Amino acid sequence: MTVTFRLNGEDYRFRDDPMTPLVDILRQEHFLTGTKAVCREGFCGACTVHVDGEAVPSCLKPVGLLHGCEVTTIEGLSSGQEALHPLQAAFEAADAVQCGMCFPGMVMSLSAFMRDNPGACRAEIKSAMVGNICRCTGYERIVDTVVDCLDTHRQTTETAGSMNV
Amino acid sequence: MAQSVERSFTVAGSIDEALAARQQGAAVLAGGTWMMRDPLRGVDLPEAVVTLHRIPALSEVEVDPDHTVIGAAVTHAVLGRALRGLAGFEALVGAAVGAANPGIRRVATVGGNLCTLDFAAADLAPALLVCEAMVEMETFDGPKLIGISDFLRDRPTLLADAILTKVHLRRDLIASAHIRLPLRMAGDYPVAIVSIAVDKDKRFRIAVGSVEAVARRWTALEKALADEPGGFAPNPERAAELAAENNDFHGRDGTEADGWYRRQVLPALVKRGVAALLKTEGQA
Repeated sequence: MTVTFRLNGEDYRFRDDPMTPLVDILRQEHFLTGTKAVCREGFCGACTVHVDGEAVPSCLKPVGLLHGCEVTTIEGLSSGQEALHPLQAAFEAADAVQCGMCFPGMVMSLSAFMRDNPGACRAEIKSAMVGNICRCTGYERIVDTVVDCLDTHRQTTETAGSMNV
Repeated sequence: MAQSVERSFTVAGSIDEALAARQQGAAVLAGGTWMMRDPLRGVDLPEAVVTLHRIPALSEVEVDPDHTVIGAAVTHAVLGRALRGLAGFEALVGAAVGAANPGIRRVATVGGNLCTLDFAAADLAPALLVCEAMVEMETFDGPKLIGISDFLRDRPTLLADAILTKVHLRRDLIASAHIRLPLRMAGDYPVAIVSIAVDKDKRFRIAVGSVEAVARRWTALEKALADEPGGFAPNPERAAELAAENNDFHGRDGTEADGWYRRQVLPALVKRGVAALLKTEGQA
């Protein structure tokens, strides 16, 4: 079976078993190893990618369901050659990353969450990341950084708004 | 990486196409959150699969004043957003937004939740039981409508020659609540689930999931509440007492918890459920 979808902005055609988990294609065919295959049960969140803008576990996504979809991995969020996503930059500035295993998934989950919930409170941020497990237990620093990032975004937006008025 | 390039994978564009594939022996692939874990359980993925996600009518939630229809391919996340704020659907919304984790909820579907035979901890099952939902199926002999209790009980037989297409709900509840007991905040299956609702005739409906292999109504407790002198005036403590007196569940042993524990926590969950109902009614 042939499945065609967009991967990090480029067309991609897959010809193999349509029940192949997306995470395996990313890592084994495209060497996009930022997406981690850890629990393979949808519990840990380390394999989270965006499919049509939604953060989903790629370990449980058979490629056959992706025909016509837009898939973005952590590498597609920013190649590292240009400016980082604001959340990535905030994590770097706050030195929030510990071992880094969970972080691509954290960034993919929380970047989509921040886009959809710019006014989120601390409790809502925590609820949004319950599917992303960190064995280093660095949750509070991650939450702090997301809170700061959203505050900065709000202040920037308000300033821009007041200037427009 | 791939198990087989010869696997049959039908992306159905219509119910008829899906049913035809089903008739040829294809398994229905919903969100994939259960089936994709088959290899971890030592189970081979099906050789033939049919998906429903490209059938537009099955991905919609229709909300009318008296009647709500939920397509089988609607995800938990979409369901939660569609019904949020509608009086009476608090339990169903709670089930949709509280199950598993956010990533799974964006993928896992209503149909998958109800049709996965060996998934005892399905959150939507008890919530739909207290709604007294009707399940619409497409069979080789035409469409069929069946009550959710009968569906859950008989689904191994029913689903042999049918596809669940929609779930129908009446708007006859005043308030409802969905109480679940996971061992952690997220990422594990709930030890026990209690959905509780009160309808326009002040009749209480209570359903339990995850304690036994299949979710069911707690009819003994419903009767005990109805038999209270003057009718049951919602009181969490009294509800818990009656739950303890009428606990007729046989808890299943599992990796998360032993059966006795699942059974033992039910009165406490009923107490929380009635307290949540009181809070909801107070806000109405």
